[in-house]
Amino acid sequence: MDTVERPLDWDPDTYERDALEALEGASTSEEVESVSVAYLGRSSPLKLHLREVRDRETGMKLNAIREAVERAVAAKKEQVEAAELEHKLSTERVDVTLPARMLGDVEPRPRGALHPSTLVRRDVEDIFLGLGYEIVDGREVETTRYNFDALGFPDWHPSRSPRSTLYVGDQTVLRTETSPAQIHKMEATRPPIYIISIGRVYRRDTIDATHFPIFHQFEGLAIDKGITMADLKGTLLYVMRQLYGPDRDVRFRTHYFPFTEPSMEPDVSCFNCGGAGCPVCKHSGWIEMGGSGMVDPYLYEFVGWGPEEYTGFAFGMGIERTAQLRYGIPGIRPFWDNDIRFLRQFG
Amino acid sequence: MKVPLSWLREYVRTDATAEEIAHRLSISTAEVNGIERRGVTSDLSLFRVGQVLDAGKHPNADRLQLTKVDVGEDRPYQIVCGAWNFSAGAKVAVALPGATLPNGLTLERRKLRGEVSEGMILAEDEVDLGTDHEGIMVLADSLEPGTPLSEVLPLVEDVLDIEATGNRPDLFSIYGLAREVAALFDGELVPLDATEPPRGGDEPVDVQVDDPVGAPRYVGRLFRDVTIAPSPVWLKARLRNSGVRAISNVVDVTNYVMLALGNPLHVFDHDTLHGGRIVVRRAASGETLRTLDGTMRELTPADLVIADADRAVALAGIMGGEETEVSDATTNVLLEAANFEPVTILRSSERLSLRTEGSNRWEKGVDPHLAGPAATLATRLIVDLAGARWTGAVDVQAELPQPAVIELRPERTNAVLGLDVPPDEQAAVLGKLGFDRANGGFRVPSWRARDVTREIDLVEEVGRFELERIPFTLPERDVSFGRLTRWQRLRRVVEDVLVGCGYYEAYTPSFAADGDVRLPEPLSSEAAALRTGLIDGLVGAARANVAVGTSGVALFEIARVYRAGGELPNERWHIGGIVEGGFADAKWAVEQLYEALKIDATYDRASEPVLHPGKAARTAHGWLGELHPRVLEGTWGAFELDLDALIDASPETIAYAEVSPYPEVRQDLAFVVDEDVPAAALVDAIREAAGAALHHIEPFDEYRGEQIGAGRRSLAFRVGFGSNERTLTDEEASELRARIVSALGERFGAELRG
Repeated sequence: MDTVERPLDWDPDTYERDALEALEGASTSEEVESVSVAYLGRSSPLKLHLREVRDRETGMKLNAIREAVERAVAAKKEQVEAAELEHKLSTERVDVTLPARMLGDVEPRPRGALHPSTLVRRDVEDIFLGLGYEIVDGREVETTRYNFDALGFPDWHPSRSPRSTLYVGDQTVLRTETSPAQIHKMEATRPPIYIISIGRVYRRDTIDATHFPIFHQFEGLAIDKGITMADLKGTLLYVMRQLYGPDRDVRFRTHYFPFTEPSMEPDVSCFNCGGAGCPVCKHSGWIEMGGSGMVDPYLYEFVGWGPEEYTGFAFGMGIERTAQLRYGIPGIRPFWDNDIRFLRQFG
Repeated sequence: MKVPLSWLREYVRTDATAEEIAHRLSISTAEVNGIERRGVTSDLSLFRVGQVLDAGKHPNADRLQLTKVDVGEDRPYQIVCGAWNFSAGAKVAVALPGATLPNGLTLERRKLRGEVSEGMILAEDEVDLGTDHEGIMVLADSLEPGTPLSEVLPLVEDVLDIEATGNRPDLFSIYGLAREVAALFDGELVPLDATEPPRGGDEPVDVQVDDPVGAPRYVGRLFRDVTIAPSPVWLKARLRNSGVRAISNVVDVTNYVMLALGNPLHVFDHDTLHGGRIVVRRAASGETLRTLDGTMRELTPADLVIADADRAVALAGIMGGEETEVSDATTNVLLEAANFEPVTILRSSERLSLRTEGSNRWEKGVDPHLAGPAATLATRLIVDLAGARWTGAVDVQAELPQPAVIELRPERTNAVLGLDVPPDEQAAVLGKLGFDRANGGFRVPSWRARDVTREIDLVEEVGRFELERIPFTLPERDVSFGRLTRWQRLRRVVEDVLVGCGYYEAYTPSFAADGDVRLPEPLSSEAAALRTGLIDGLVGAARANVAVGTSGVALFEIARVYRAGGELPNERWHIGGIVEGGFADAKWAVEQLYEALKIDATYDRASEPVLHPGKAARTAHGWLGELHPRVLEGTWGAFELDLDALIDASPETIAYAEVSPYPEVRQDLAFVVDEDVPAAALVDAIREAAGAALHHIEPFDEYRGEQIGAGRRSLAFRVGFGSNERTLTDEEASELRARIVSALGERFGAELRG
């Protein structure tokens, strides 16, 4: 029966052209559908010919045409449906100037919550405000001059490698610590300087349980006449007890950082086991908190001061790490997953 | 670095325990991550030297021997043994019944194939001294049977896991750590034995250094008649406890000396060196070298190589070449004790992603004066352990740096530390660390030349020794200025308002697939640029919450966005939100924000790519609306505002307006207007018409219906008229009302509804 409808003078190229033309003319999804049925449907000439095909060459040609028309139909369908949706949406207009309560039922929601990193940020801010510090935050994209040169990183230092640092341009990077903000402050004003810089910093890390290419730091800088390492120890003891509880002990270990001399790392006695040793402190009784030290005299010269007019200290710690320790959050991923079941546990 | 304590103690005499050493090193020198007790942990008296009295085939087993062993008791012990590399008379290591081996096996007196076996003759792997299980350990003939084995072999070892910082190359060696321990505990540092073994010949060693900057020093020594064999047990045990695999005596010596002194060494099979010579030079462009790990490396002129007459044979300081490697068949060995410039090694090692124990030390800057003692120790060991004849030596040196003398003002130390350390105590600390007094200052020892160059570095040396004595104080302040900035205070307000509206705070990454500021080497194609808005991150976060079945999602984020700027991008803080619901929900939150910041907001119809075309608005500071359904399935409200602009717009001071003590006259007015007249335009017009007497206005009802007509709607407003002087009369109120009706009629064709 079908053979009757199969014209003998059927030309595949013309057929394809006709199909695409018909599709061009369609402007509703119904029209697209009828073109599709006419040219690709079960009883379309193309399908009928395909059924009769005996040689490979013709088969390949007809199938190529079928695929081309199918692609065109799909594209047209998407375009037409998008336009139809757009049209439908444009008829659903609201008067945007009306107050929200007249525009629909605004369900009262139970209180939300701040992210744990924000809670720590606020705590850190408040603790240092109490000590008479200002809070600053500089740029996230910085020049290598402020991110590395000013901080005493030699030219060959591995941190300067694009393997460790995300470059934005030849001489600009996503800051690897918030310290550049401190240099800007030193250039802008003379001591006394007591500041905490808080913000996002970036490292080229592969994402895993404990690494994410973005994290937050808080870094302190105190420069004044007569500041000593004893002041650094006392300040961090106070801060750690504020953050982790009044029973905490703090010890300092000598260390090395390019921008402080002498340098040391503060450890806090483990608040989980009290110092006896447990998995939280890796059985050492102590938890590493970050880096600290006396401002290297190089920095005073960098900003054009005399090397011994002032002394000062600097320290830096991680916001996420602080939150992990305070709330017992394993790993870094929850901080970026934004799962409300996680977030609602905090303030 | 893994440091076997017995090895450390060979170089420093102190009574301090492992725990004491670990503690003080951690505080003052380098962090000790832990102490691992390795080897035999059970009763050591059950491990003894034995003498084999009799050994013969086990009557019931072809592969076993039956032995009688004198273990210092009144009778010999009968022990069945699977090894055959000994015979009667040999001194062997024996574990008696009751002993527990490091692998946890406790020996018992039991029958093996019908014969009683009382203990075990030990192979080195059974007491964790090596990996060899080919045969049992044959001990020195001079030992007395019954001698505690722990006096002969390091059966028990405390291994310190020490993490030194990169500025202290001297601490990547046992001797360097011993020097610190000696200083910390006032112990005695055992001087290095400088005796050279006797020479067994006098041959020239052909070493030519073409690049004295890359290789300031090259000590070459030639050995003949070398017998390559496994190292003795004591050496294998030290390497094993240091985490280094034993290979053969000569190769093990190079690793041993590197661990002991911190100077990496290399050995070549001298017969494979073309022309028998060494040339230290930069690689030619395109030159290749197959390194010991079997990888063919393509080199660049930045790479320093050790070459022979024709070709590169080692990547200097990083890894040797396969073709000149010392093998079991080697009989002539060339030892290299060199010094390489750190940055050259670092760059090559980074470029080739090839980090080795050697490169790890060189890149930190090894003391060039160390090559001599390293060569001496290695020579002694090669002669001793491989029966070699030492037949030639050469020491090619550039001019090595002279020790610096640095002045130290003791009062400066005290001013920095906040601790009074008397001058002679400061000098004593420095003296113990090798800084000797010299013309008014301290001479920096060669192994500290890189990290001690200024007075403050000497202050640190004193400081790290006194760290625990430094008191805890707070700075004495003349002025204090602890206060949040206005911006910081208002950020908290914004955060709190949104939390109060039921939103949870999200933190999403700063990256996007596209943006003004593109990263030349991004982490991934989805993170190819810095983001220009927050909404995409929030949509992702909302989708993830829906995916885990959370309903009623509402999230906000406060973060920076980045636009092209001058030298540096333009960074601005944005506040974005997303909420399951729709336009009204988004607008509710935005209204609360404006209210809290005391900013009058105007809302204009707008179009945004992510928003529903009929439910999108802009304010002076950003946009809000219902998300376009193609962005996220379901009905969602969203907004994104420029937080910096909002905070700028928020009034710095609040201007108080007097509150009237008289009641307002309240009236409800409903007008029919064309659909396209926004409610806000009517409100503005009402305000204008009524003037100061209008104390209150709010739209409260919207109605469409047949009696109103198509294309029109009715909007009802509640107004309050008042005065601060008196209560308004009804006439006055009617007059105000009439002015409003007339103004709205004129401007919008508005009709007052009955």
